[in-house]
Formats: sequence, C-alpha cells, structure tokens
Amino acid sequence: MDLAQLLAAAKPYLIMLVVVGVWPLVSGYIVLVERKVMADMQVRLGPMRVGPHGLLQPIADAVKLLLKEDIIPSQVDRWVFWLAPVVPVMTALTAFAVLPFNENLFVADLNIGIVFVLAMASIGVLGIMLGGWASNSHYPLLGALRSSAQLVSYEVAMGFAVISGVLMAGSLSMVSIVKAQQAGGVWFVFYQPIAFFIYVVAGLAETNRAPFDMPEAESELVAGFMTEYSGFRWALYFLAEYSNLFVVCSICTTLFLGGWLRPFPNVAALSFLDYAPAALTLLIGAGCLYLTRRPTPKRSDVLILAAVGAGLLLLGLVFAVPQVHQYVNGPFWFLAKVAFLIYFFMWFRFTFPRYRYDQLMGLGWKVMIPLGIANIIATAGALLYLGGGK
Amino acid sequence: MNKFLRKIFMVDLLEGMAVTFGYQHPKHIYTEEYPKQRPLVAERYRGAPRLNINPEDGTTLCIACNLCALACPENLIVVSWERAGGASGKKALTNFTYDTARCMFCGLCEDACPTDALELTQDFELASYTREGAIWDRQALEEGPRPTQYKA
Amino acid sequence: MGSREPGDRERTIDLRMPEHTQTAEATFLDANEIVLNMGPQHPSTHGVLRVILKLDGEKVMGSECVIGYLHRGVEKIAENRTYVQFNPYVDRMDYVAAVSNGLGYCEAVEKLMNTTAPPRAQYVRVILTELNRIASHLLWLGTHALDIGALTPLFYTFREREEILKIFENYCGARLTTHAFRIGGLQYETYDGFEKQVKAFCDDFPKKVDEYETLLTGNRIWVGRTKNVGVLTAEDAIQLGVTGPMLRASGVKWDIRKSLPYAAYPDFDFEIPTGPNGDTFDRYVVRMEEMRQSRRIIMQAVEKIPDGPIMAKIPKVIKPPVGEYYHSIEAPKGELGYLIISDNSTQPYRVRVRPPSFVNLQALDCMVRGHLIADVVAIIGTIDIVLGEVDR
Repeated sequence: MDLAQLLAAAKPYLIMLVVVGVWPLVSGYIVLVERKVMADMQVRLGPMRVGPHGLLQPIADAVKLLLKEDIIPSQVDRWVFWLAPVVPVMTALTAFAVLPFNENLFVADLNIGIVFVLAMASIGVLGIMLGGWASNSHYPLLGALRSSAQLVSYEVAMGFAVISGVLMAGSLSMVSIVKAQQAGGVWFVFYQPIAFFIYVVAGLAETNRAPFDMPEAESELVAGFMTEYSGFRWALYFLAEYSNLFVVCSICTTLFLGGWLRPFPNVAALSFLDYAPAALTLLIGAGCLYLTRRPTPKRSDVLILAAVGAGLLLLGLVFAVPQVHQYVNGPFWFLAKVAFLIYFFMWFRFTFPRYRYDQLMGLGWKVMIPLGIANIIATAGALLYLGGGK
Repeated sequence: MNKFLRKIFMVDLLEGMAVTFGYQHPKHIYTEEYPKQRPLVAERYRGAPRLNINPEDGTTLCIACNLCALACPENLIVVSWERAGGASGKKALTNFTYDTARCMFCGLCEDACPTDALELTQDFELASYTREGAIWDRQALEEGPRPTQYKA
Repeated sequence: MGSREPGDRERTIDLRMPEHTQTAEATFLDANEIVLNMGPQHPSTHGVLRVILKLDGEKVMGSECVIGYLHRGVEKIAENRTYVQFNPYVDRMDYVAAVSNGLGYCEAVEKLMNTTAPPRAQYVRVILTELNRIASHLLWLGTHALDIGALTPLFYTFREREEILKIFENYCGARLTTHAFRIGGLQYETYDGFEKQVKAFCDDFPKKVDEYETLLTGNRIWVGRTKNVGVLTAEDAIQLGVTGPMLRASGVKWDIRKSLPYAAYPDFDFEIPTGPNGDTFDRYVVRMEEMRQSRRIIMQAVEKIPDGPIMAKIPKVIKPPVGEYYHSIEAPKGELGYLIISDNSTQPYRVRVRPPSFVNLQALDCMVRGHLIADVVAIIGTIDIVLGEVDR
C-alpha cells in the first residue's frame, strides 16, 4: 500500500482521535462562550480574571473538577452509578462519527446516517435513567423519569422533522443529504421552514435547554437526576450535554442549512465567499492584536493575547491560499453554521422563562407532533405532485 | 386576525429576543471591575470611623464629652479621659475604643459629636484577620484603616 | 387529639402517611402522598423560609410554613433602647426597602408625641419612600422572573435599582440600611444635585419599565406560567388580612396612602391599580403599574419641595407621654404597622411591628392547593416576602 492509500485507510481513525482528544477542550470553550454571551445580554462582563478576558477559565474549571473529591453515597448501586455518566458521553461522541465536516472529512458515511444519530440520542436517554436509578433516592429518580419522558416525547417530534428533510433529499446518508442540497442549489431550510422550526424546538427540548429546562432547573426542587453526582462525574454529564448540543446543531446544519456548503454554492459570481474563512481568521487575529494595545495590568494577559493574535494572523494567511480552500472551506462553513445555531440556542435560553412540565409535554404532544405529521403529508404530497407521480 | 398572526409568528417572543439582542452592545456593560476599579462612594457615606485631628497643631479635636458613647445603640464606644488639675479641670482624652465588629454604621455617634471629631469616612475595606483586630483604639482611629493593595 | 406536649402546635396539614404505606410489604412506590420539605436553604432568594408540602404525585394538597430562622428579637431589643437609638434597627427588618420601615417608625413616635414633621421634611420623605417602593418592586421583579426561569430581567432591574441606591447613598450615606429619617423630621438636608439626580432617574425610568413589559408581559411562556396560578379571591384576602399589592390584585381597592393618608400624600395625584382575578399575573401587572404611579408621585413632589426647616421642635430627650399608638403605612409589600406603647420613659415599653410579609405569607396555603410543585416557587415569589420582616 502506498502513502495515499494508507492515509485514506487511517483517516477515520485520525479524525476520531482528533475529535475525542480535542472535544473536551472545545466543549469547555463553548461553555465559556455561553457564559460570555450570557454576560453580554445581561449587561455585565462574565469571566474576566482567569487569563485575558477569561480565556483560560475552562482550563481552570477542568483542573478544579479533576481534583475534586469523588463522593459516592454509601447506598448507591456502585456499578450503575459509575456507568451512568459514561453512557451519554459515549453515545454523543459516537454520534460524531457520522457528522460530515467536509465532502470527504468524516469518520464514516453510513447509508443510514440520520437514523444512527437518532438511535444514539435514544440510547443517551438511558444514561439519565441509570443516573436517576443509581442514586437510590426518590427525588433523583423522579427527576430522571421526568427528564427521560421529556426527551422521548421530543425525539418523536424531532424524528418527524427529520423525515421531512430526508424526504427532500431522498436518502438517509448525511453526505448524500448535503449533496442533494448542492445539486438543488438551495438549502432545505427555504423549502421546509416548518420542519426547521419543529427541529429547533425539539432540539431545545432534547438538550434540556431553556425554555424546556425544567428537569434541570427545579425538578423536585433539587437538581434532578444529577443531584448525587459531583466532581468529575458531573463534568461528564455536562460534557455529554454540550456534546449533545453540538450533535443536534450539526444535524440541523446538515439537514436544513446545507452542511459544508457555502451560501449559494452553485452561483459562480459569489465565489469570492470562498475567501471568507481567511478573512474572518485575519479579522479575529487583528482584533486580538488590537486588544493588546489596551492597557491591562497583567503582563501575561498581553503575552497570551499577542500569541493568539499572531497565530490567527498566520493561519488566516495560510487560509487565503486558493489551493487550501478545498480542505478548509467545508469545515469552516460547517462549523460557522453550527456556531450560529448554538448562538441561537443560547439567545433563547437567556430571553425566555421556562415552561412548566405539563405545559412542556402538552406542547410536545399536542402541537409539535401534529404539526410534524402535517408537514410530512404536505411535503410528500408536494413531492409527488411535482415529481409527476414518481 | 392580527392577534392570530401574532400568535402564529410568535411576535411576542421575537420582541423579547430583540430586547436581549440589543443589550449586547459593549456600551451597556454596567460591571464595575472591583478591585481594579474602585467605587466612588458618596461624601456622606457612613464607612470606617475616624478621630479627626486639628490640622494646625496636631491635637485631637475630641473633647471627651462622651456623647457618642451615650448615643450608640450598641454601646461599643468607650471613651476614657483624665482631668487636668483636679476634679473639675479640663478633660483630656486618653483613650478611645471603638468596636467596628459590632458597629452597624448607623451614624448616631457622628451626629452626636459636637466638634466633628468623630466622623464616619468613605473607607469600607475594614477586614481583619482577628476579632481583636476589629476593635480599634485611638491610634487606629486616627490613622484610619490601611488595607493592603494587591496588584490586580 | 390526645394530650398536647410542650412544643406541639396545631398543624394545618396532616403529615401522617396513609395506612397502606406503613405495612411491611409496602415500598415507596405505594405511597402516592409525599411530604416534601423545601428547606431553609432555597435556590430562590427570599431568605430562610421552610415550606413543608404535602403532595399527591405532583399536586400540592397542603402546605405549612416554618419560619423563625431569621428571628433576631428586634421587638425585645426595642424595649432596651431609647427611641432614637432604636431607629437604625427598624431598617434591618425589611432590608430590601429600608426607608419605609424608618418612615413608619418615625411617624408612629411622632404621633405618640403629638408632633408632625415640617412640610419640607414630609416632601423629602415622600420622595425617598416612593423611590424605595420602586426599588423594592424592581428587586421583586428580578427575583420573581428568575424563579420562573427568565435569567436576564434580574440584571436589568438591578441596574435600575443601582441608580436608586446611589441616590440613597448620596443622601444619607448608606445604600441598604439607610437610617434616612429621624424622629421629628430629617437629619440631613438634601444634597446639591438631589433634584437633578431624581429627575434624571425618573426621565429614564419609563422606557426601562416598557422593556421589562416587552420581555415579560406579552410573552406566552410568562403568561402560561402566571395566569390562573395562585388565585386569591377577594373574600379570602380580606379574611386572611392580606394587604398591599396582593390585596389590590384581588380586586379590593385599598391603599393606605389614599384611605388613611400620612406624610404628604394628600398633596399628590396618583391612582391605585387593581387587578380582576387575583392570580400571579395580576399581581405582576399591579406591581408594574405601581412602579409607574410611584414615578408619577416623585415627579410631582420633586417639582415643589417647599423650603423650610427639616426638623420639628422636639425635646432633646424623647419621652413620649404614657399611651399607645398604632400607626400603619403602605410599605411596598403591604400594610406595615407599628404599635408603640410608652410609659413616659426614654425607652418604649413595647414596640410591636405588624409586618406585611408575615401576614401575607399566611395566604400561601390557600393559594398553593391544587397546583403543581413548579408553581409553588412562583407563588412564593409573587407574595413578595422578605424573611427579615417575617421573622424580625
């Protein structure tokens, strides 16, 4: 086997290693972004002390959680208690395997890709149930039961939204769905706005985010199924939650927002958008370097900012080279769209109060699911009519 | 019809989202980064007590009239004096003890003082490592608190 | 009933578990009635209140409040302090809105001594008290929204509250435990720029209230969480002795500022908002409108503060004649009353405070029955309690 074949064979493993290795750090930084966005919307500053503008906060949090005492209540079911946080992390990270970052940058292109992700989400619910059961206390158990009921109901709604997107694409494979959008030249969100809306709402409920975060917030007036978990076990649940968030947003991007495609992929006149990654990286790098001019008393802050700024500038210059575009643009647009969706999820969280549990379930079963079914029927009917009975 | 459309298109939710979106502009940030930025407290702020000294000759302004101790709801001021020359001579202050741990900074002592000797200043950083450190004697009252300034 | 032991007290709800759950074969899944303890440590910021709930699944069958975790013996302290010395202690009861407490106490002692504060003092007292009312309602709004899940209004309301607290700090030197008033009038003259700062706040305030309304009032999630939750009918409210915005939201138009006027309130023109149903949403609307009406009062007052002395002619040592007097004012949370019994000495014989939160809290049991657990937190929030006042 020559080098190219070796590389092709090793690619899934390499991506896997990168994802699993880098993901905890990235999810820590998503938490920092959430805290900063929350602070911005709440007219305050957020983390500022650890590192310049709080940039080292996730590392400090991770170190703290690792060093915390591992408290296991005496009456718990030890095996299950150990297993419970591991399950959702495992399923969320496994779901990363089918996410297509670029045309040929994925771990595996299953021909049932979408269904695989939904299956992983369902197994993830098991982690919550096990967590509530293992805690050997009836408040976490009841909280876990409630939380899983919520997740299962909104999975049905999410499934219906996904089916509409799949009907448009004609295939369950993630890569084919994006290719179908490329062929059509239009992102599916313009054809399926209702399905997009249902998916976003179901996604909010799946990831236990406001306005559907009742199980997390005051369930039985304690912390729900996570009550007995502290330290690193809690960090695992937290990691699972943010991984779930990323996966849900990635599916939405792939299905409705065109995956790795740039806006208007087939319009040649807009090909200057191919330079967008380079432009954005250069801009952020320049911004970092500009921020070093503002007087801050800590010398380390200035150094860190300068290093980050210089690195980004260099990266931006590399991105500007046209030969690099085919490797870089896909992941850039994919991640940009996922980031955009995650920002929306955060925006919803900080604006709306939360639904009460019965209102939440009522919304899922009485509004989202009928709407999803109606959407499927309408989509199928329209496709049948336009396709001429094929 | 208008209400129906508002309900379907979730106009009420979108209006709320517009409010929070608008607040992201950096000009709205209200945080005061203590201890890098110290708050400017008011002139009348009731903070740490201080025994004032006559600026011309460096003697204390306190005439040991004991009105502050009588006014205090918590009875935490102890004034001791000696009379120069016999039982009805002029009072001179010897020691003045003020317990900042029990003080509720109500300002009644400051209001009672006839010579503006006792004053509640703008200092609010009064932490100490021991309980005894919170009981200030005359020298501590005249100097004022000296908090350690850490480089932020 | 059986014999009563010391320490027994009448319970409002029967806390014994049902018979079928007490057998040997029963597991916890047989019990469909749980007794849940919302302990003194709360996620909400109302203070150390313990609520024992009896639940049937999710529904609340009854509740009982256990208070006293913040009891400091303020009324007993009063018996050992002079009238002037007791003044700073009253701020610490309703610590969120300390100025009203001071107003009630000072006016009660003034009535006992048969004096009144001069007009200039009355006007400044009204301005500060109404600012205090706005500050209290702002804090209530932020924490209530936080309990229901909206994270951001808290910070916006606290930002407005900062402006009011800056005015208090500039005037009397403290933000929260203000000790602003004295018996017979005021200690401090208004500072330079007082009118300007107050007017600037009032000019800025209406659009901020409109922002809160945009975020909350029309929001379908908010309406879904607060409409028909915690309904208190007018008869129940009057029977329980509930006062303040809770009473007005149930439809009873009773405000002590209009019914038994005190200070300079007769000179001002304002309205009393009431609500039709007495649910959480109405209490929210009534308090929002009260903020606007308070602003209206302040705008009127600040234009025409009369000149004159700020302290009445009262003796240096305050020794009211033998007698008792009950004086009540409209605090932000309800009717705050002071009963002062004097025996012609420098220290009162008895000071009894009628805290609005204590009486309003009794309505919790009545309001919470039949609702779900998630509503309990919303209902506790809507009563607007401050434990410092409830326990004293």
